Formats: sequence, C-alpha cells, structure tokens
Amino acid sequence: MEDKIALEVKDLRIRYKCLNTFSIRKSLFTLKKADEIVFEAVRGVSFTVPKGEILGIVGKNGSGKSTMLRAVAGIFSPDEGFIDLHGNSVSLLSIGVGFQRELTGRENIVLSGMLLGFSEELVRSKMDEIISFANLGEFIDMPVRTYSSGMHSKLAFSITAILEADIMLIDEVLSVGDAKFKKKSYNKMKELISDNERTVLIVSHATETLEELCTSVLWLHDGEIRMMGRPSEVLPVYENFMS
Amino acid sequence: MLNRFISDMKKYFSYAKYSAKSDLKSEVASSYLNWLWWILDPLLFMLVYTFIAVIIFRSKTQYFPIFVFVGLTLWNFFNKNVQGSVKMVRQNSSIVSKVYIPKYILILQKMLENGFKMMISFLLVFIMMVLYRVPVTWNVLYLIPIFIVLVMLTFGLSCIVLHFGVFVDDLHNVMIVVLRLMFYMSGIFYSIGNRLQDPYKSIMIYGNPMSLLIESTRNCLIYSSLPYRIGLAGWGVVSLILCMIGIKLIYSYENSYVKVM
Repeated sequence: MEDKIALEVKDLRIRYKCLNTFSIRKSLFTLKKADEIVFEAVRGVSFTVPKGEILGIVGKNGSGKSTMLRAVAGIFSPDEGFIDLHGNSVSLLSIGVGFQRELTGRENIVLSGMLLGFSEELVRSKMDEIISFANLGEFIDMPVRTYSSGMHSKLAFSITAILEADIMLIDEVLSVGDAKFKKKSYNKMKELISDNERTVLIVSHATETLEELCTSVLWLHDGEIRMMGRPSEVLPVYENFMS
Repeated sequence: MLNRFISDMKKYFSYAKYSAKSDLKSEVASSYLNWLWWILDPLLFMLVYTFIAVIIFRSKTQYFPIFVFVGLTLWNFFNKNVQGSVKMVRQNSSIVSKVYIPKYILILQKMLENGFKMMISFLLVFIMMVLYRVPVTWNVLYLIPIFIVLVMLTFGLSCIVLHFGVFVDDLHNVMIVVLRLMFYMSGIFYSIGNRLQDPYKSIMIYGNPMSLLIESTRNCLIYSSLPYRIGLAGWGVVSLILCMIGIKLIYSYENSYVKVM
C-alpha cells in the first residue's frame, strides 16, 4: 500500500480573522480601528496519506479537525503550506448540500450531485441506486420541505455515499436516521471504505468506530499533530488523555 | 485566469442552468399564480408610470406604454441581479460552506433566472408592438450587441458587488440608494433625448450605461433608428474590464468568504 500517495499535506496553516467584516456606518462613527484578532486553527500540519488508506482524525473540540477537512475539500485555501491531491477527485460527505425545499427529492438528487461536481448524466445513471438506498418510499417524489429531518439526512447521506469520489472526507456523519438506517449506512460506509482504491479521511469522536474502520489515526491537538500512527497505538493514548 | 474561468465555466455552467431552472420551477410550484407575477409585475408598473407621465406630466412621447415597458424590463434585469449579489454569499452559506464552487456561478444562476423573466417581458413587448402597429426595421438586430453589453455589465458589476458584500455589512443599504438614484437617472419613464438639452443630455446618456442601453434599445426596437453605437462600443469595453476585475477579485478572495461568515 505504500506505493502511491493519494494526498499530501505540507506545513498547512489556516487562520481565521475575527472582526473582519466592517460596516460603513461603524467606520464613520468610530475613529479608532478595531484590532484584528487572528486565530490560527491549524498550525503547520504535514502528513501524507497513501492511496487506499483510511485515516481517522481525532482531537478535542476546536482542535482544527473540521477546518483541515474543509481545506482538503477545497472550500478554503490554506494561508500557508499546500495540499496536493495528486489529481484525485475529492468530496466532503456533508449533509444536504444545496437542497431546494420546494423541489422533489428526485430533482434535489440531481441538483446536489451536480453541485458536487458530477455531470447530469452520471447523476441520472446512479439515480435508482440512490433512491433505493435512501428508501424514502413515495416521498422521493414529494417536495423536500415535507420531509422529516431524519428523511432529509437519509437522502443527503445516500447522495454523497453513492456518488463516490477518489478521496472521501467524512465529518461526523456516521449516525444518520433511525436505528435501521444507521446500521445500513454504517455498513455502506464500511463497504465504501474497504474499497482498496479509495482513500478516506474520517473525523469522529467515536473511538470504537475508528478502531474498527481505520488503518491509521491522526491526533490533532490545538492545530498541531500530537500523534500519528496505527489505531492501536494512538487511540489508547488519546482516550487516556481525554479522560 | 482566463483558462481557469473557461474550465470552471465548462464544469459548472450546467449546474447553474439546472439550478436556475429548478428555482423557476419551485417558484411556480409554491403557488400556481406565481408565474403570472412575472408578467403582471412589469405590466402593472408600466400602468403606474404611464398614468403619472401621461395624465400628470402630459408626456407626448410616442408609444409611451411600450417605451416604459422596455425601460422597466432592462432595468429590472440589471437591478435584481446587482441588488441580489450583495447578500449572495450569505444567502447561499449552506452551499458555500460545504462545497467549492466558483462564487460567480451563483451570480450566473440568478442571471439565467432573471434573464428568463426578461425574455417573458420582451415577449409582451413584441405583443404590444403588434397591437400598436409599430413599424419594425433591420435595426432590431442591434439588440444582439445591446444584450451582450447588458449581460457583461450586469455580470461584472454583480461580481464586484458580491465580493464587497461579503466584507461590508451595510453595503445593502448603500446599494439601495445608489440603485434608486441610477433608476431615476436612467430615463425609464421619461425620454432623456427629448427632455434634456446638451451638454446634460450627452452626459446623462453616455455617462450612465443603463440609460445608454435603454435608449438604444428603444431606438432600434420602436423608433426605427440607430442605437448609440460609439457609446455601446465604449461601454462594451468598460463592461469587459469590469468582468475581468470582478472575476479576478472573486478568484483571489473567494476562499476567505467562508471564514468571514
């Protein structure tokens, strides 16, 4: 598995600037300019992920896990350092991207899929698979606004799970819907993940899940790498630290 | 930058189109009378302005209802897009914070939507032209360059407004005032050509792209005369530059938009 690198992250730094919207009213009436508070969420993280690897990312809240994931997904660019995807397609498994409340589930599948960068034909060819996986019955032809929140997330999960990318980024979505769907989605996730061609990054707090699924684990602490290695090495130390 | 723009357009244009289509569809779905409003809205405003201009100000402009309708149609397209861009990123935060799309695609989607409504309005213009027996000449073909300039101008300005709208909280209020001023300056319910003398006439027409476009459209559509060709070419160049500035702004800063919200 060491042969090909799917993802390379080097010296990644991401900063958030607080207080950086201003209004014309405020700048007219306050003479002193407010100081900019810069918060660095990710501070110089470098790692590589070989192709087919499943990397779990753990860390306490606010340690920069989601920020890093979003940077890898290309939602924002790093302030310093670089992320090399080696030409792989990447998708962040996220709930309900661009759903239109008035449209039916079927139309939203196309809309959502196209937003994720897939062509209309491809989405349509996978349509049946998505619909049967989401298992919404006749609701699939009803407007999304009539959906319960569970149905909403079931549909969203199915879309991203079935329209697969080379690198999948998963941010705490392992628990969706009712018990039955949860099991199904967990199994689907396992199936997706166990595909040797696919590289997966999972952010989760559920250490048992990570232990079962991952081939390696990255522990982020305050925006820096605290530890990286096999799940059996990292997770016990992490759990010890957290308790 | 141009290469990136072209490849992004190839990748995301179909999304913009599909999303515009479904937006229109959902507008109709929420109430079956909604599509009627696409027609009624400009029609009723035409009646309002016709009433004010003909009854109160005793305007003698020929084909006045069509005259107003043309002005309103073009203005609505421009106004809705530019005004809508101010809060575009904020309104689409659910998309913007979850996937990457070039942010001008959001503008493009709205432009397709508003463009469709504009076409419906223009259909009404043609129907009214038949009713009023307006003579039509080959000058109508000038509508093509006029539309190209209108689209580029709207797109360029919208991109710039979208960018600043993310960082400046009350740009919305400023834009309302600016656009209202521009509305009154664009000669939508009065004819700049007939009402004003030089040099004000030239300044008003050549200095304001919307009045130039509106007057040009009226000239070649209902008055069988030529548009302001030099002005059109000039604003065409300016619009192209605005588009380039807008796209460049968005490309350089769009990744930080998410962090601001």
